[in-house]
Amino acid sequence: MKGRVVKLREAHKAGSPALCCASWGPSGQHVVTASAADTAVLIHDAATVLAGGRGSGSSPVVTIRLHKDGVTALAVAPGPSGSLASGSMDHSIKFYTFPEGEFQSNVARFTLPIRSLAFNRKGTLLAAAGDDDGIKLIATIDNTISKVLKGHKGSVTGLAFDPRNDYLASVDSIGTVIYWDLCIGAEARTLTRVAPTFRSDNSVRNILCWSPDGQTLAVPGLRKNVVLYDRDTGEEVCTLYGDHEQPVSCLCWSPNGRYLASAGLDRQVLIWDVKSRQDIERQKFDVRICSLAWKPNGNALLLIDVMGRVGIWESVIPSTMKSPNEGIPDLNSTKAPLFDDDDDDDDEDEEKPSTSGGLEDDMDETLSDSTPFSHKRPRRKSTFDRDSDNEDLTHQMESTKRMKDKHNKKEDAGKARGDSATSARLVTARMQAAFQPGSTPPQPGMRNFLAYNMLGSITTIENEGHSHVEVDFHDTGRGPRVPSMTDYFGFTMAAMNGSGSVFANQCKGDKNMSTLMYRPFGSWAGNSEWSMRFEGEEVKAVALGAGWVAAVTSLNFLRIFTEGGLQMHILSVSGPVVTAAGYEDQLAIVSHASDCLPSGDQVLDVKVFNISEGAQSMFGRLVLTPLSQLSWFGFSENGQLSSYDSKGILRVFSSQFSGSWLPLFSSLKARKSKDESHWVVGLDANNVFCILCKTPQSYPHVMPKPVLSILHLSFPLASSDLGANSLENEFLMRKLQLSQIQNKMEEMAALGLDTTTYDDEAFNMEAGLDQCILRLISICCSGDKLVRASELAKLLTLEKSMKGALTLVTRLKLPLLQEKFSSIIESFLFQERMLNNKIIAGTGRFCSNATIMTSTTVLTTQATLPSKFMQDGNSSLESSLPKPNLVNQQCSSTEPKNSAGEQGIEIKDSTGKVSSAFIPSTKVPKSSETKKHRNGASNSAVVDQNQEGDIDHTGAKKLSTEYCNRAEPQRPVNPFAKSSSSKEQSSSLLDSIKKMKVDKPNSRI
Amino acid sequence: MAGQSDPHLSIFSPSEVEFVAEDEIVEIVPNIRMDALNMICGDFGPFFPQIPTKVPLWLAVALKKRSKCTIRTPDWMTVDRLTQVLEAERESPREFQPLPFHYIEISKLLFDHARDDISDAYLVRSLIEDIRDVRFHKVETGLETISGRTHAVKLKNLSAMEVNIVRPFMVRTLQAFYKHDSPQMIQQADNTGSRATPVTDRGPRRDLRRR
Repeated sequence: MKGRVVKLREAHKAGSPALCCASWGPSGQHVVTASAADTAVLIHDAATVLAGGRGSGSSPVVTIRLHKDGVTALAVAPGPSGSLASGSMDHSIKFYTFPEGEFQSNVARFTLPIRSLAFNRKGTLLAAAGDDDGIKLIATIDNTISKVLKGHKGSVTGLAFDPRNDYLASVDSIGTVIYWDLCIGAEARTLTRVAPTFRSDNSVRNILCWSPDGQTLAVPGLRKNVVLYDRDTGEEVCTLYGDHEQPVSCLCWSPNGRYLASAGLDRQVLIWDVKSRQDIERQKFDVRICSLAWKPNGNALLLIDVMGRVGIWESVIPSTMKSPNEGIPDLNSTKAPLFDDDDDDDDEDEEKPSTSGGLEDDMDETLSDSTPFSHKRPRRKSTFDRDSDNEDLTHQMESTKRMKDKHNKKEDAGKARGDSATSARLVTARMQAAFQPGSTPPQPGMRNFLAYNMLGSITTIENEGHSHVEVDFHDTGRGPRVPSMTDYFGFTMAAMNGSGSVFANQCKGDKNMSTLMYRPFGSWAGNSEWSMRFEGEEVKAVALGAGWVAAVTSLNFLRIFTEGGLQMHILSVSGPVVTAAGYEDQLAIVSHASDCLPSGDQVLDVKVFNISEGAQSMFGRLVLTPLSQLSWFGFSENGQLSSYDSKGILRVFSSQFSGSWLPLFSSLKARKSKDESHWVVGLDANNVFCILCKTPQSYPHVMPKPVLSILHLSFPLASSDLGANSLENEFLMRKLQLSQIQNKMEEMAALGLDTTTYDDEAFNMEAGLDQCILRLISICCSGDKLVRASELAKLLTLEKSMKGALTLVTRLKLPLLQEKFSSIIESFLFQERMLNNKIIAGTGRFCSNATIMTSTTVLTTQATLPSKFMQDGNSSLESSLPKPNLVNQQCSSTEPKNSAGEQGIEIKDSTGKVSSAFIPSTKVPKSSETKKHRNGASNSAVVDQNQEGDIDHTGAKKLSTEYCNRAEPQRPVNPFAKSSSSKEQSSSLLDSIKKMKVDKPNSRI
Repeated sequence: MAGQSDPHLSIFSPSEVEFVAEDEIVEIVPNIRMDALNMICGDFGPFFPQIPTKVPLWLAVALKKRSKCTIRTPDWMTVDRLTQVLEAERESPREFQPLPFHYIEISKLLFDHARDDISDAYLVRSLIEDIRDVRFHKVETGLETISGRTHAVKLKNLSAMEVNIVRPFMVRTLQAFYKHDSPQMIQQADNTGSRATPVTDRGPRRDLRRR
């Protein structure tokens, strides 16, 4: 064998030396070649290449001419149904089937020529690099770029995946070698200037090669040698130094790692026995060899020179020596499991091949039990499921797959549960485990949320036995900067508010006790964080509020600590805790009340404690949608207890009906597409803040930073025949908010606090509610729902809006309703007056209507006026116009005289009293303690005659009631009558309500 | 602004077009709590951390420079959409795909200032460059078809930068064709124009002098 000359046959035409590359097909039957001077990629039959040397001149099997410029890089994915990737000077990478050579897809586009390509051992990942800065890692399953590794300063000419798939090694044209850790996608090690530098010469390039067992990396050295570097340390293991007269440019390991072939610029190819570090064979060629490849299953070496001539060197290793295929290292057996997940382990077992079968069989097996991947961007999930590779960098896909599996399992479980519930009722559902609101399940290698609320988030990532915990505030402008913490406890739950964060871990075995730790964000004393340890007890849920920290444990103890770490209270709670939440003084705890019902529904209790008072402010059942679990629990921004379940229903606790849960949001109704789900973060009076998740994800990831979306709260209304659901919803929402404010005011009044701050808010609410009701009335009228309209009219709270309603029905020519409405107004007025009288009679110091309705400007003119009543009446409308007041007041003074009947007398009565009590009260205009809106309304009982001309003017003629007729005489004189009569739209009513709203605050100055 | 650039060419410089494009609305995710900003062009905000808001590009860039926000990549700037557009551009040699009027400028500004907010920035950038090249090429080949008979050219979905490039050439070409077609009309128009202006010019001057 010795001395046999390898003959090369022209495959690519090259006028000048150009970089060529050649590669074996995985089975060793085909050979692929390409040249930088040629746009074609050729697939040859190995036999013809071998024969070609003897001049048969047969053409290649397949010629692919799809690139627009020279092809600089080739890579063949392992496996019988493997694929071929080619990279070109035209900046693109293309996939083809192999060995057919059919074009499959364009993989990626670079901005500069591509110089190097490499598949990992399973063909799931393609690394590509060139003159661009950055090596792109492309997941072949869907051609997505999973990572870009940046760090090389020169163009990257050589890439090699570590056979164990932990590292990617790359070398650039200035001789720098970088080991990339594929798990983290960052540089693991950098060896600068270890390989020769070829700056501008593109026909020469550095390449590198991992030994098949992954233990050493071979790199061309600076001193015409080959240097072997250690896998883990990056240290030089040994050098192969010998007869190369010029630097080595190209090298290749034999399949078993025993031999190494190297080609130098000196046109020699040397075969090294790595163990003895000696060259055993050599061959000299006419021109430089620029690519080498060992046959995967035979004793042959593929060569291509810079002129595009290809040849196969057969029987490279003398038969006296060990075959280059003997003892191919089995990586699967030594491989450290990267993902020891159940579903992956199964695959792993199947994959473990017989060592004798060699590389190819191994590949066969791997690929036959998994679906052969196609590069045509398969978006179908089914391929995800079946593809069973556990590559580090495709773990994103993996995780989605895993989650999908889980999802499916969950669904199945749910189905099973549902079935059993309907049929046998034998299987009882599991009680849900304790959880922290706003936390996401931990994932290996990725950050997860321990807490996420409206204020900020706490994230953690486990890393070599300990975790890194970071606290971030959403508002980077205001929140304090919290240094990240190294956590040796392995905290699994956390909660935070504006002043501090609390952490706790579960106990792991006997050694690690459950620990609770509190970290304040700022304190006047140093070192004010503290921790507690629990023996034989495990923290299940934590919460914190204003000046307190609470932890509920496995022994059903509720432990309450102060901010400084003082153990204040220890209570027993009634059942295993599900979750806890804190808001200022309030602590809410959800616990299991009993085992699940036969139907599968959970029985949960909720308790609300007031920590500062040491009181229990609420106890009751937590409402859940049938067969659902609690998935979020907390307080809204304004302190309303809220819960969100796995069926996507958000409920808010309201004091209506002495405490009940109102369903205010449905994820199913709010979602725009079927695969959307909402992960609730918080809510305020009108909106719920949540993170949108697309299935299979049901919770957000830390990176990229999730974005909150705002969705409106809405009642799950039945679709009514009225066809005004949004308005009906608004009506209910406003009513709820009004009741919340009134509750708050009552509470404050009970405590003897000043409620005036809420007066305006409450009044605005009322005005808004009335507006909404008026619109509903008009819809009811047009829909011919007269009874409903009259019911709505009864709900109006402001005098003015009642008038508006009356005008409305007048204009719509509904005499029946007119009658109804006027009687409603009358009874309303009557009640108000009775109330007024009571107030006047009951309390000596009557806090006048006038104090609220009159503005200061009017107060000054008041002394000159003959009748306080008139001034009283007009002030609300004319506070800004004191002068026309005079005219107006005169005309309105005639009004009570005109008005006949009881009401008029009553008005006189009351106003008489008002005027008598008026003067002292003007001196203390702000002493009002009665509810303002009541006053306002009762006052408008007096005002109404004036306003009637204002609002009701046009309708007045048609009104048959005596009440409305009274408005007639004053019409010509009242300036407001004129202004309003010109506008007959109902919108003017709303305007006037708005005006009242504006007037109100003025009058209180 | 037009006065700043070369009056003979009557085009905007790229930076001027970019300036105009800064009024386009983009979505940002602020990381601070800030009250609404009342600008001449409108009110923006209020800003709540982590809740997306729409602001003009210049404001987004200003906030981004102070690292007060992240800019959300517009829908059309995703790899999927751009590959679709690119394919469609290549398939239909006579049509332009609908893209934002200022797509070149917006993408440039985003790449300059908010590179870290764009996923697959590399691919997106190369795709946009490809699309731009394809479209420019289309415009150029389209110009070749202008002949003496052409009185107007209709180009749908052309973007600001593209219009800007062809505008001077296009206008002058058409003018030239028009002139050669009917020299009399041009002359007449010129004459009437030159006669009319001095008359109107004298009018107000006299008025001024009288006063």
